[in-house]
Amino acid sequence: MRHVQFLARTVLVQNNNVEEACRMLNRVLGKEEILDQFRRTRFYEKPYQVRRRVNFEKCKAIYNEDMNRKIQFVLRKNRVEPFPGCS
Amino acid sequence: MYIKRAILSAVSFAKRATLPLGSLSSSHIHTSACSRKAEDRKEMLASLPAKDEGTVGEKSVDIDTLINRKAKFFPDATLATQLFNGMPFNELPVCNIRVSPNNTIISVTDYKGVPRLIRSCGIEGFKNTRKGTNIAAQATAVSISAKAIELGWKTIRVKVRGLGPGRMSAIKGLQMGGLNIVSITDNTQVSWNPPRPRKQRSL
Repeated sequence: MRHVQFLARTVLVQNNNVEEACRMLNRVLGKEEILDQFRRTRFYEKPYQVRRRVNFEKCKAIYNEDMNRKIQFVLRKNRVEPFPGCS
Repeated sequence: MYIKRAILSAVSFAKRATLPLGSLSSSHIHTSACSRKAEDRKEMLASLPAKDEGTVGEKSVDIDTLINRKAKFFPDATLATQLFNGMPFNELPVCNIRVSPNNTIISVTDYKGVPRLIRSCGIEGFKNTRKGTNIAAQATAVSISAKAIELGWKTIRVKVRGLGPGRMSAIKGLQMGGLNIVSITDNTQVSWNPPRPRKQRSL
């Protein structure tokens, strides 16, 4: 991926807090699936492995979506302050 | 259920107004329920769960909340000329860290990219598997930062490439060595249509 140097995938360090900047960078890279792709392309992934991985990811996404919905349903609140004493 | 609640509230209103309950005709209650109908509907809609919009990501895009909260962490167009310790950002020396599972190589270049210093865990005296540890990376970073300070480079930008145990600890080591890190850039080369990589390791 070609990008403008020091503009893309760059995090500025605030108050000499390097660790937080690193965490932020890793979060961005993780969310954009750049690190996943990097790890995946170290070795050749055979077509059957690609199929298996893609199917697994599909199933996982469906499961996660349904589970999130269920959790939201169980946790729903109908009161002015949803979690009293927790603010 | 909502109508029932409306009737109840009408009754309670009647009580509050010290009207005898018996004096309320059924038509009175009926009109009261009608007037509250719109309000009740609004209430009901508010209490209902949000409208289902199909599969997540089908109609809406999830944007990381980071961008709103931490805008100052990310560079913008003015960064290149911004001054850090009296130097514009794009004239600061660059520290390139090349991390691999078995080694960590750190080099410091000036802003044009001419390398001035280079150290690796191997040069530092760590041999074999010990090269690929975070302790080796940290020691290398500390020693190279001492050399960089000798050159008069105290404020640097950091570019990291690759994944490995030394990724985090090398950056930390640079800071421990007394360098002032302005920014951290990831320079890992990632392709979505790479040439065929080597075959999988047999385990």
